Amino acid sequence: MRYVKLPKEKVCEFLERLKSMGTLYGPKKISEKFYDFREIGDVKEVEFEYNRTITPPRKFFFPERETVFTFDTANVEIHETLPTGNRIIIFGVHACDIVGLRIMDSRFIDDLPDPYYQIRRENGIIIGLSCLPDEYCFCSVRRTDFVDAGFDLFLHLLPDGYLVRVGTVTGHKLIENSPEYFEEISSEDKDNFAKFETKRRSMFTVQGNWDDMRYRLELHLDHPMYMRESDKCLGCGNCTLTCPTCRCYEVKDLPTLDGAGGERVRFWDSCQFRSHGLVAGGHNFRPTKKDRFLNRYQCKNAYCETTTTAYCVGCGRCTYFCPADIQFKENLLEVYGPGGGA
Amino acid sequence: MSKPDPMKTYETHKCRLLRVYGLTEYEKLFLFRFDDPEIAQSWRFMPGQFVELSLLGHGEVPISICSSARRMGFFELCIRKAGRVTSEIHKLKPGDMVRIRGPYGNGFPMDRFYDRDLLLVAAGLGMAPLRSVFLYALDNRWLFGNITIINSSKLGKELLFAKELKAMKDIATAENIEIIQTATRDPDWGGLTGRAPTHLDKVNVDPKKCTAALCGPPRMYKSMFEQMIALGYDPRYIFVNLERRMKCGVGKCGHCNIGTATSWKYTCKDGPVFDYYDIISIPGLI
Repeated sequence: MRYVKLPKEKVCEFLERLKSMGTLYGPKKISEKFYDFREIGDVKEVEFEYNRTITPPRKFFFPERETVFTFDTANVEIHETLPTGNRIIIFGVHACDIVGLRIMDSRFIDDLPDPYYQIRRENGIIIGLSCLPDEYCFCSVRRTDFVDAGFDLFLHLLPDGYLVRVGTVTGHKLIENSPEYFEEISSEDKDNFAKFETKRRSMFTVQGNWDDMRYRLELHLDHPMYMRESDKCLGCGNCTLTCPTCRCYEVKDLPTLDGAGGERVRFWDSCQFRSHGLVAGGHNFRPTKKDRFLNRYQCKNAYCETTTTAYCVGCGRCTYFCPADIQFKENLLEVYGPGGGA
Repeated sequence: MSKPDPMKTYETHKCRLLRVYGLTEYEKLFLFRFDDPEIAQSWRFMPGQFVELSLLGHGEVPISICSSARRMGFFELCIRKAGRVTSEIHKLKPGDMVRIRGPYGNGFPMDRFYDRDLLLVAAGLGMAPLRSVFLYALDNRWLFGNITIINSSKLGKELLFAKELKAMKDIATAENIEIIQTATRDPDWGGLTGRAPTHLDKVNVDPKKCTAALCGPPRMYKSMFEQMIALGYDPRYIFVNLERRMKCGVGKCGHCNIGTATSWKYTCKDGPVFDYYDIISIPGLI
């Protein structure tokens, strides 16, 4: 892998350069407590030290709502509305979210690829950014706290700039086309990179790894945690909407008033909604809140072959944004039993 | 291998409804033909697969194909009037157009059925996908040993394709095919009564060299498995066709997800056909 240094005083200029290449999105502080990925107007608005964004980066490739085609009812014809293919640059993506995108890829760009997702993804540039965990983070036990794929560039914080890892040919081109912003790394930079990593690793509230978590969960499907915690659940779906790997969608036809045409839209769905498992005739495959709660815990801990990790990347959003204060990490540790790394 | 074309994933084809046959109070059989002759010639499916049928402005529903895979350019769907979209489909008249995408799902592994006896056990609407297997076996009769089909429903008048099966009686005898039709809770029914498993003593297949395909409610699978294994059927050759909310058909939208953390499945893509060992290793499948 190629490594270069982006000195602190060149960061803004580099962001300006990125902005000139397409639509630049990055983390912004949007309220006293919260951050979110937003379009960057002024590069000074980019927040480098954010804990987590409300919405996950998958929204750029799999928007919360999109028209898949418009239709003409009389002639039974459809007109696909494919994405335009504009270049988008997402700056400041944490390691866990990058693995989240790779998990999205594994389902949306498989042997039956989703064209809407694929076109957007192929036109996206991902710039990663290092971070320090807070008490909600458990990417360490998910093995997603350090990524070796899924980014074009990855910026690791140094006292006087960033150590940049180059992940793709697109990344190499970004460096080649803007040589004035980058310099070679020094042995001091290497030391500082190692120091940052040591510090980062020491900060996690859980240690070890949870590769066997899925077996622990499966052996205790009747664990009392599910009933107790799902009782608190409001069924609002915040956990799934903020999740970087949730990808359930619902599809609806919206006819025009005269019925002559209309559009077919798809939008994010949540397995926490009662409608998720409901079929015609009134049967529901996940009729109770506990069924739906259990469903999410199983799905998130299932194994993704592409990343060799769980579908949950340990970003902490589902707990951080839960209005009922349901603690995902603690609940999993409870089912795991002693030795979970807490 | 070349990269799969993303434009094919959700590609729909225009189809013309040719005929509608009333089967029962709630089920109708729809015969469709592809509008585009090229698609009509190239479109193939395997028994156990399904299509997504679109009625523009109303929505889309997953429906098992119930016709013979040998009949090209045409396909039949047996549709129960159960919800908003299927109620609209029931209003369609010959000549009306719909859009179809698919076929989706794994389907039955027919090559594993060859040179073996065949047992088909259907309950209720389960007869729809199994009819496709049955017709496949009839069209390729030389590839199969003895065949038994057990068709069951609550009431006699609810038996799907009952007339069609009855009309096959003569040819069935000549072709070593046993047809068993039973109504489980119908005092007015003149034929066989009792649930499907109670008729396993009437079959003409040899459990040791028989492949079985089952489709019905989960309760039926449990009692069938128990009895079949006791009778010496090989569990490796017992298949079921499951029903879930298969909205997208391509393993994306998540509505048909089943299983647990060690085996997370999409019914539409990993299924809808599963074998006995899938069933016992994946909690929640049935």
